[in-house]
Amino acid sequence: MAQPQPVAPPPPPDAALIAAWQGGDERAAADLVRRHARALARFLTAAGAPEADLDDLVQETFIRAFRAVGRFRGQCQFRTWLLTIGGNALKDHGRRVSRHKVVPLDEGLQARDGDPHERAEAGEAEARLAAGVQQLPRLQREVFLLRAQQGFEYAEIAGALDTTEGAARVHYHHAVRRLKELMR
Amino acid sequence: MKEDAMLHDAKLQEAAQRLGSAAADKLDLERIATTVVERLREPEARPAWVPPAWLRVAAVLVVLVGGGLVLRHVRSPTTAHGAHFVTDDLTDLSADQLREVLNTLDETLDSVGTTPPESGFDDLDAQQLRAVLRSLEG
Repeated sequence: MAQPQPVAPPPPPDAALIAAWQGGDERAAADLVRRHARALARFLTAAGAPEADLDDLVQETFIRAFRAVGRFRGQCQFRTWLLTIGGNALKDHGRRVSRHKVVPLDEGLQARDGDPHERAEAGEAEARLAAGVQQLPRLQREVFLLRAQQGFEYAEIAGALDTTEGAARVHYHHAVRRLKELMR
Repeated sequence: MKEDAMLHDAKLQEAAQRLGSAAADKLDLERIATTVVERLREPEARPAWVPPAWLRVAAVLVVLVGGGLVLRHVRSPTTAHGAHFVTDDLTDLSADQLREVLNTLDETLDSVGTTPPESGFDDLDAQQLRAVLRSLEG
């Protein structure tokens, strides 16, 4: 009779890692970075972060978040809260460099499978979307990315941005309408 | 029509989900995690130099006093010392020359519609003529 394989324990929830970090556990902070850094990077890039500065912006966002984690009251998920801090870090970065770069159309923006024609079309659509997203007002842009890119519910987005669910919904629909116009 | 819109929305969402993926995939998570933890060990950077309270109070006082002095200077009426009368430049002129100046002035006033004096300046001496000129200057 085969021995049952030991089942790996489920990963600790964010709340447990946050509490551990607040208790001085650096490994908990590192785990949170590993868990959320890519989502944060996707959000920042889509919101206009230059790729050359992405590493720094991700680090800066985590530093700000860990130092302010005492103010996180669980009004939304840690990731949503983190992304809004990332939005602020990006805004400050934009002020410092006084310019906004448009995400270039590179190989990374293109779909990785399908036929070459479809790939080219998808790549072109993404490039136009990237440019369009950066033309949106900040709140519309953040709501759109939190909803369409990160898949958060409106209630979650509202909690993170300190607004109402209805307002978040309206911002999203305005953003989508504008993006459709820009991509037409 | 609605189906088209939904399809379009779904495509938009798919495209949005792919945005930034390539750049995010290139990140070295282990290095970032290590760096973040190391940076968290460092004391929090203080904000740029903030002047102490006494210096801020002193700066406010300097602005208030300086501003008050400037205002006082601007608002004070022009002193006699600062005024300059054309008649001061006419002290060397004789009575005839002064009369000529007054007649020229008289013609100028006449041309802009001002009533000339009924009596002439012929019987006035140099001092009186200067007084007339000064009165015309205000």
